[in-house]
Amino acid sequence: MASSLRRIATHSPQAAAWRSSLTPICRQFASDALVEIKPGEIGMVSGIPDEHLRRRVVIFSPARTASQQGSGKVGKWKINFMSTQKWENPLMGWTSTGDPYANVGDSALCFESEEAAKAFAEKHGWEYTVKKRHTPLLKIKSYADNFKWKGPPKTAE
Amino acid sequence: MGLGLLASRTLRSSSRIFHNNGPTTHFLRTITSTPDLNNADASASAVQQPDLPPRNPVGGARVHFPNPEDAIEVFVDGYPVKIPKGMTVLQACEVAGVDIPRFCYHSRLSIAGNCRMCLVEVEKSPKPVASCAMPALPGMKIKTDTPIAKKAREGVMEFLLMNHPLDCPICDQGGECDLQDQSMAFGSDRGRFTEMKRSVVDKNLGPLVKTVMTRCIQCTRCVRFASEVAGVEDLGMLGRGSGEEIGTYVEKLMTSELSGNVIDICPVGALTSKPFAFKARNWELKGTESIDVTDAVGSNIRIDSRGPEVMRVVPRLNEDINEEWISDKTRFFYDGLKRQRLNDPMLRGPDGRFKAVTWRDALAIVAEVMHQIKPEEIVGVAGKLSDAESMMALKDLLNKMGSNNIFCEGNGMHPNADLRSGYIMNTGISGLEKADAFLLVGTQPRVEAAMVNARIRKTVKATNAKVGYVGPAADFNYDHRHLGTDPKTLVEIAEGRHPFSSALKNAKNPVIIVGAGVFEREDKDAVFAAVETIGKNNNVVRPDWNGLNVLLLNGAQAAALDLGLVPESDKCIESAKFVYLMGADDVSLDKLPDDAFVVYQGHHGDRGVYRANVILPASAFTEKEGIYENTEGCAQITLPAVPTVGDARDDWKIIRALSEVAGVGLPYDSLGAIRSRIRTVAPNLLELDERQPATFSTSLRPEVSQKVSETPFTPAVENFYMTDAITRASKIMAQCSALLRK
Repeated sequence: MASSLRRIATHSPQAAAWRSSLTPICRQFASDALVEIKPGEIGMVSGIPDEHLRRRVVIFSPARTASQQGSGKVGKWKINFMSTQKWENPLMGWTSTGDPYANVGDSALCFESEEAAKAFAEKHGWEYTVKKRHTPLLKIKSYADNFKWKGPPKTAE
Repeated sequence: MGLGLLASRTLRSSSRIFHNNGPTTHFLRTITSTPDLNNADASASAVQQPDLPPRNPVGGARVHFPNPEDAIEVFVDGYPVKIPKGMTVLQACEVAGVDIPRFCYHSRLSIAGNCRMCLVEVEKSPKPVASCAMPALPGMKIKTDTPIAKKAREGVMEFLLMNHPLDCPICDQGGECDLQDQSMAFGSDRGRFTEMKRSVVDKNLGPLVKTVMTRCIQCTRCVRFASEVAGVEDLGMLGRGSGEEIGTYVEKLMTSELSGNVIDICPVGALTSKPFAFKARNWELKGTESIDVTDAVGSNIRIDSRGPEVMRVVPRLNEDINEEWISDKTRFFYDGLKRQRLNDPMLRGPDGRFKAVTWRDALAIVAEVMHQIKPEEIVGVAGKLSDAESMMALKDLLNKMGSNNIFCEGNGMHPNADLRSGYIMNTGISGLEKADAFLLVGTQPRVEAAMVNARIRKTVKATNAKVGYVGPAADFNYDHRHLGTDPKTLVEIAEGRHPFSSALKNAKNPVIIVGAGVFEREDKDAVFAAVETIGKNNNVVRPDWNGLNVLLLNGAQAAALDLGLVPESDKCIESAKFVYLMGADDVSLDKLPDDAFVVYQGHHGDRGVYRANVILPASAFTEKEGIYENTEGCAQITLPAVPTVGDARDDWKIIRALSEVAGVGLPYDSLGAIRSRIRTVAPNLLELDERQPATFSTSLRPEVSQKVSETPFTPAVENFYMTDAITRASKIMAQCSALLRK
């Protein structure tokens, strides 16, 4: 129902007018902004230590969990910082890490598209590689195949 | 009635303020299907809107059109989609980007249609239809989010939850369970069932699959998987009504090399992983998308780790390689990563015992010994789990020392690295599905590469392809003809004297697969020549089809041959004074002189360590980034999931450091630099996730004068579950070998 409501909203004339009144405000943040950001500049001014701006990262699209059929989380893009500086803390046995990015990629960074992830990595000056996304191939299936004649019965040789 | 509905539509589209009011939502929720049925034209015109937002297929799926003319158009929630004729309603919805809830339907299994969760409303149909089993017809108007569909699914869910225990807090599937997910959308907060829930006795399926059969919802996915994909008719359905249960009829273990996949396909927690039981919750785990290197298939996996520990391995979709299955070895070897690990550099003292030393001392000793030995007496052996970067570094180091005696175990002493088509699978793993006749030469794909075997079985099942097999008696899970045990049979087929040669001749897309065990044979060239003759006589290699294949055994083999790891002399081990074993455990060191100095660089204290003088601890493939090429020539990369153990280092870094200490510094000190070095030798290794077919065919090979011997082929893999250092250290694999091996 939510989707049908949204459809009504996008197609009603009022909504269109409302959207057109919004566009000039939006544009300031978009492509023709006065300041152009060069690769790596956001990282430089962000206060992130230099050694973390020279990292190699992998941009990938997480595959569907094999045990779940739902597709809600499929198709997002993530950044893997390849962080393995971890050890078991001798006091409590908890996991310690020496890497501030240890949990950032997995839990905090999620992008709608490959380009968005790339742009983010470029802004921070990370050297990135992109892993190809694997998608399923839909082939024709039919219930009637269960009852198809599969040749004469096999005889033991 | 139709008027009222039309009025409501006008109201909805004209007034934005109006539908923010509370009562309207009730108004919109009325069941609208019956008026629509009586007034089909009105509803169709209302549904067809000029510019619907574009929708993408579920999971980015690609649609395979076998015949482009046979496309039909259906409407899913008013959105028109083109699908090939014969697809089901559920698939049409997937193409339109609508995810239909399902339990029994699985895209890689046959359609059962028994769970009824996928009910949708189809216009002009009196009842909701089970979309998984219903073929889509041209112009069909499918509605997936109407109150009728929702109510139908809610009813189904209530019945499913009647007998499903409230186990979620103690269930291993909790958090990644289809039933849990879908009950969030369609479950009720209370049940009307007041009787006792049924309970079912658990079954013993072996050391890998844990069963809690009370949780089973009878979707029969596991039954279909076992009989269709795994090829073992072990599981079945017993009883009727509420007495219905999944079982093995008699007490029996599930003896399939793919049995672990039933854990994934089970939509509830009835079948879960036994080694993983109660070890971790899935939301604590960090997934790293990597690949498997324990065989030459390079299955795509996700390594789930918690802190510094690998907790489990699950498959990842790759249509070209492993679809979405993995073998039991891939799934369960991970406990081997925590056992028998080498932590510190070690030096064997005069008393024959190892003592830990610093990296500086260990490298200094190795470098010193290396300089005292004549270059031609230095030998390097790359192990079966080596990545391309470290093999490149080892080869460069040895070449700088003046030696060219370097090889990869499993490739034999006379590897043919000149023609790439002579050692990779030219058809490709997914290409095997087009074949209609197979000739397996000295290979038992079921134990050598379980995923390739699953493809062959899929093909045999779909097209009734004929399979001929030359080799020792072996266990197949599809119909095959055992043609003979020695290479003489090949000569007979090549000369057309054998009855199977007519089957090959009549085949449209014949495939010949030679096992990598042949590499170790004396008459290897003659066997390959015979295979090529068979290929030539039966039109196996054509411009549009290449059916000549070699099925490799280990993850490192293809990359080693691409990088030119070919020993200068085949007697190098007999005359060696210095042997550098880079994770090589299965190379025969019996003929090695007693005074030879052996360096073992690797991650496990396995066979190679017994003879070693110095141990340099390295990282396993779950702890490093490395390029591996699989048997079909597709380069893929592993990513580090967990930290290295103790003082271990990456393989290429150890060799780079050793070269510095030895005074022959290698010209690269980063992964990027070593990869640009690889680019000059084998650029195909850097084309990741993309199969690079061989350019030249094997027909360029020189004539062979060798004659085939009468020695029968021998099995290349003795024990499917234990093939390398990691799997031999694994307790689960030891259990499997004891219980499941026939």
